[in-house]
Amino acid sequence: MSALGVVGGIAQPVLIVAGSPLLVGVMRQVRARLEGRAGAGVRQPWRDLRKLLRKETITPRGTSEVFRIAPLLLVATSLVVAVVVPFVTTDSAIDPVADLFAVVALLALGAVALALAGLDTGTAFGGMGASREMTILALVEPTLLVAIFALSVRVGSTNLGAIVSSTLHDPARVLSPASLLAAVALIVVIVAETGRLPVDNPSTHLELTMVHEAMVLEYAGPDLALIELASAMRLSVFLGLLANLFLPWGIATAATPAALVVGVLALVVKVGLLGVVLAAGEVFLAKLRLFRVPELLAGSFLLALLAVAASYFLA
Amino acid sequence: MMLLVPVVLPLLGALVYLLFGWRRATAWVSAVSAGLLLAVAVTLAAGVTRSGPRTAMAGLLRADALSAYMLLVIAAVAVLATAATPAFLRTEINAGRATARTGTRHSLLVQLFLAAMTLAVLAANLGVVWVAIEATTIVTAFLVGQRRTRAAVEAAWKYVVICSAGIALALLGTIVLNFASTHAPGAAGLDLAALAAHADGLDPGVTRIAVVLLILGFGTKAGLAPLHAWLPDAHSQAPAPVSALMSGVLLSVAFYAILRVKVIADGALGTGFARAALLVMALTSLALAAALLIGIRDYKRMLAYSSIEHLGLVAFGAALGSPAALAAALLHVLGHGLAKAVLFLGAGQVLQLTGTSRVDGVRGLASRHPALAGCFGLGVLALVGLPPFSLFASELGIARAAFTAGLAWQTGLALVLVLVIGAALVNHTSRMLLGAAHDHPVPAASPVPVVLLAGLMVCAALGIAAGPVPVLLNSATHTLVVTR
Amino acid sequence: MSETLYVQLLDLACGGLLLTAVLVLWRRELAVIIRVFAVQGAALAALVAVLATREGSAELWAVAVGVLVLRAGVLPHLLRRALAGAGEARRETRPLVNVAASLLAAAVLTLLAYAVSQPLVALSPSAATQAIPVGVTVVLIGFFVLVTRRRALSQLVGFLLMDNGITAVGFLTTAGVGLVVELGVSLDVLLAVLVLQILTSRMRETFGDTDLDELRELRD
Repeated sequence: MSALGVVGGIAQPVLIVAGSPLLVGVMRQVRARLEGRAGAGVRQPWRDLRKLLRKETITPRGTSEVFRIAPLLLVATSLVVAVVVPFVTTDSAIDPVADLFAVVALLALGAVALALAGLDTGTAFGGMGASREMTILALVEPTLLVAIFALSVRVGSTNLGAIVSSTLHDPARVLSPASLLAAVALIVVIVAETGRLPVDNPSTHLELTMVHEAMVLEYAGPDLALIELASAMRLSVFLGLLANLFLPWGIATAATPAALVVGVLALVVKVGLLGVVLAAGEVFLAKLRLFRVPELLAGSFLLALLAVAASYFLA
Repeated sequence: MMLLVPVVLPLLGALVYLLFGWRRATAWVSAVSAGLLLAVAVTLAAGVTRSGPRTAMAGLLRADALSAYMLLVIAAVAVLATAATPAFLRTEINAGRATARTGTRHSLLVQLFLAAMTLAVLAANLGVVWVAIEATTIVTAFLVGQRRTRAAVEAAWKYVVICSAGIALALLGTIVLNFASTHAPGAAGLDLAALAAHADGLDPGVTRIAVVLLILGFGTKAGLAPLHAWLPDAHSQAPAPVSALMSGVLLSVAFYAILRVKVIADGALGTGFARAALLVMALTSLALAAALLIGIRDYKRMLAYSSIEHLGLVAFGAALGSPAALAAALLHVLGHGLAKAVLFLGAGQVLQLTGTSRVDGVRGLASRHPALAGCFGLGVLALVGLPPFSLFASELGIARAAFTAGLAWQTGLALVLVLVIGAALVNHTSRMLLGAAHDHPVPAASPVPVVLLAGLMVCAALGIAAGPVPVLLNSATHTLVVTR
Repeated sequence: MSETLYVQLLDLACGGLLLTAVLVLWRRELAVIIRVFAVQGAALAALVAVLATREGSAELWAVAVGVLVLRAGVLPHLLRRALAGAGEARRETRPLVNVAASLLAAAVLTLLAYAVSQPLVALSPSAATQAIPVGVTVVLIGFFVLVTRRRALSQLVGFLLMDNGITAVGFLTTAGVGLVVELGVSLDVLLAVLVLQILTSRMRETFGDTDLDELRELRD
């Protein structure tokens, strides 16, 4: 465990936890402005969280421990991922966990916990949301794995830190077909996984279409706050992963204060920009019909597979 | 120069139709051009058997005994088909199903079709062979769709789509083979003779891919299963003379390309590989034809499926690869071409006389049109493989060679299937020819089928006394047998 | 041109071929499909141009320009004209295999293409031959489109996709198959498309629409 890794392991989770509600706020603000509304301000998500955390805990009648544990598990997995993935520093605090398969499994674990909680409530909406989430998850996870795997092939390691630092050393690789195909595939699955348009609309509660919101409908108070925080963290984690896999520049490779400041700033700028682009894109997109979603995801899976094939056989 | 004539002759014919259109004076031009083609083919065959292969046009054209023989087949069937065309077109025009313009387009396209086929068998380069065979698809697409009915358009569409896709596979095979040949000693390029001579230097792995693609691709055009689906539709919807040409020679021209590929495959991979591929395709085609012929209701489709069967038999003979089997297969090509041309022309007349292509619709043909019915019946007997027709001799030759080669169960299976097909053909034909006629009014004149009789007689003569043909066949098989 | 730049440009062009082939399978709007097909033609021309620069051959440059004109200009134009005549039938509504399944099938086809073309790569390993599987994949995807689509126009695009793939393989294996054959091939493709286009319009006259589901008169 290097000093760089330890510093990163402390700086990253703090940054993600503090910054992700702000990211959501920025994205909502961008959408609001583009749609001609004043918007609630960038700090509104934090204000929401504070209000929710002050309320008392209420659980629906007939729910079990699964329902109570799910928010904690969701936050915990997101936190672990935030610690290990190379966001600010190329080294990781717990290097073995910064592995492609471990990270994807952790993220999937959180999603599954939430889906189980949705089922646990026994309401129609919870079950519906869970079943939809599982459908999406079944296609998203393999795509995620395969797409990042395509990048790891030429590095010869599934360690995310290794992948990032190798891209840092050989920038030309970003423009190879394998990396471009993987990037497209990753963008599609990240949009699907974080429940953004055109797969899911995070700002509506329309029973015909909602996925994520249907699962968390029964939560209230601090539990809801945890879930909101966790989903914001997942969004930042995914965007950060996307940014650093393909545009790792600025990331700290040495444990000097200057490098760390640059690393933090670079991450904030990259994730912020991606968030703004995503929010701006959402303004122009309509939600896809639910049964067209597998089509989109199958397409991105194919692209990811092509990326793997290309990284093996081209060059 | 001699080699350019067979290609240019039909082109000149096409030019005549382009300039003057189809009228009384030009009606027989295509038959004359086909007759001249036959004369050239005979001369060329004599020349080639006497003094060996010859080349022309800076090595782009090359005629060996096999090319000369195929040219002979094309010319012979073309004479039959074009001789029957004027009467056919006149009847169509009188019945209001066609105009003089249709006649012009028909004759023009048929001449181009012939030119493409002669180019295919005379080309020395596999790439040019491919181009010529693809050209036949394009030309005949319009001939198949000539009647412009729903069924005709549907048949033409299927024909072009399936054949173009199949032939595209052959193009990929050609490219792959070219790749293998550039990395092999001998710098053969795509020249067929050079490729065959230097085949043992080709990389086996790459050649295997190329051969599979080429056999599959040209097999599509030859109507072999599994890509045969276009054949019954196209052959049943095309006008009779075109069906005769397509079934009689186009299939064999495509098969000629497979034969050329097989020589290369045998040289590069040993005889087993191409044999296995061809055997599978041959037996599938036979089984398919047998299964579908039993319940067939349309007599033109019946003839089309019988074409699949006979090409299957030819493929079976080619798969065996011994000189005797190859000679029999080549003889079968000629015999089948003649018999099938006669039958399609006859079927065209039956269709014109009765107005239906359903087997049930043509009861008692023998009592109304004895001459036509006789020719049709004899043609079917020839197709089934009864003596004295040459198909008997060739089928016997293939069967004997197969047992010599030790392919007992495959041969047994093939023979059973041929038997089933023969029974089905005879059964359907007897329902057409015999029995009491429907009592709707009989068209007064029934033409004397001179052309059909001539074709049958040649076919029978070939079976009884082959004349100089065996010498030609002998030297043709020499180019196909690989001694390794 | 330096070796790495050459390899990178070559790979990019091949990636473009692959991506456009997948998009043809993915999209339903015929107009979009035609546009994607034109982009693929441009990618193919770029591939030839990269090879031409590498070989320093003016002849190959001419071929690249020819490919660009034919496959990114003439053929899409013909297709667009056919589409303009097609009236409201502008979407591939019910393919034989639904889109999600065909995308997964395309994934399998990709693996198949890579497996099948191994001997080709092994015969003379180089940056160009290593891209052969891409061409084969495009051929297979084209064949798949041809088999599973019902609209006449989509089938046409499938056929052309196959042809693009074959051409790509041709240029990647050797620098072409000889100019005579090359010309013959291009001419034949153009003719085939013309024939198919005429037939499409004739089909519309007789059937009213070019949905191949209507084609069920001829069967046993």
